[in-house]
Amino acid sequence: MNTDKSNPNDAALRKILREGRPTPGLPPRFQANVWQRIERGESGANASWIEALAALVLKPRFAFATASALVLIGALLGMWEGSAHARQTAQARYIESVAMSMSR
Amino acid sequence: MRKPAFILAIASLVALAVFGGAFYCAHYVCAQRGAKSTDDLDWLKMEFRLSDTELARIRELHDGYLPKCSDNCILIAAKKRELNQAIAASTNSPATLETLRGEVAALRKKCQSEMLAHFEDVSRAMPPEQGQRYLAEMKRITLGAHEQVEQSMSGTNHAAHDHH
Repeated sequence: MNTDKSNPNDAALRKILREGRPTPGLPPRFQANVWQRIERGESGANASWIEALAALVLKPRFAFATASALVLIGALLGMWEGSAHARQTAQARYIESVAMSMSR
Repeated sequence: MRKPAFILAIASLVALAVFGGAFYCAHYVCAQRGAKSTDDLDWLKMEFRLSDTELARIRELHDGYLPKCSDNCILIAAKKRELNQAIAASTNSPATLETLRGEVAALRKKCQSEMLAHFEDVSRAMPPEQGQRYLAEMKRITLGAHEQVEQSMSGTNHAAHDHH
């Protein structure tokens, strides 16, 4: 479109039209929300995996499976350690019985 | 604190408690089971996987050896008391003290010889491979401690001895 050929009153007309168009007001807490979104954008990577993990932890199936695995691993390690401890106690008892003079 | 981080912190604490509880309970049960037994030969049975026949033979040897071992201990303790009294009295001649020291050493030597002979008897009552392992382990435990002391005296503390 050639602007040179436009009517010089167009500017005034455009102004009147702009004023006549209703512009919606800003929503409440607009500025605070914008800042929140900016902050979230900055720490987006961290927040996303923490939120994902927290959501996973809250799933009953995952929580139950994790708890079962922890009980199993804990019990196995405890049994292993306890057996080693019992073995040491038994060994000390045997040594004490056959080598009494060594401990005096 | 933000909510997801709080959830994860609580979950971690719960996980730690679950793991710790399971570990402690299992450890306690196993350790108590071992501690309740009063049989001196439990360790041999566990460690060297002995059959009932082998264990019965070893028990025979063990029961035969214990009175000898006990007698040796009583003799050594009595001789050591005598030596300490002689040292404390300070009226005895160096020759007397030397004699007493020699007597203590002789008793210890006799005790140690009998102990090693007993270990060899026991090792022969086991399957060969286990017997060798038993003998090596017993020598390491009973004689190793003394050798460590000797090594430490002849090694790092050698200079200190020279100065005295």
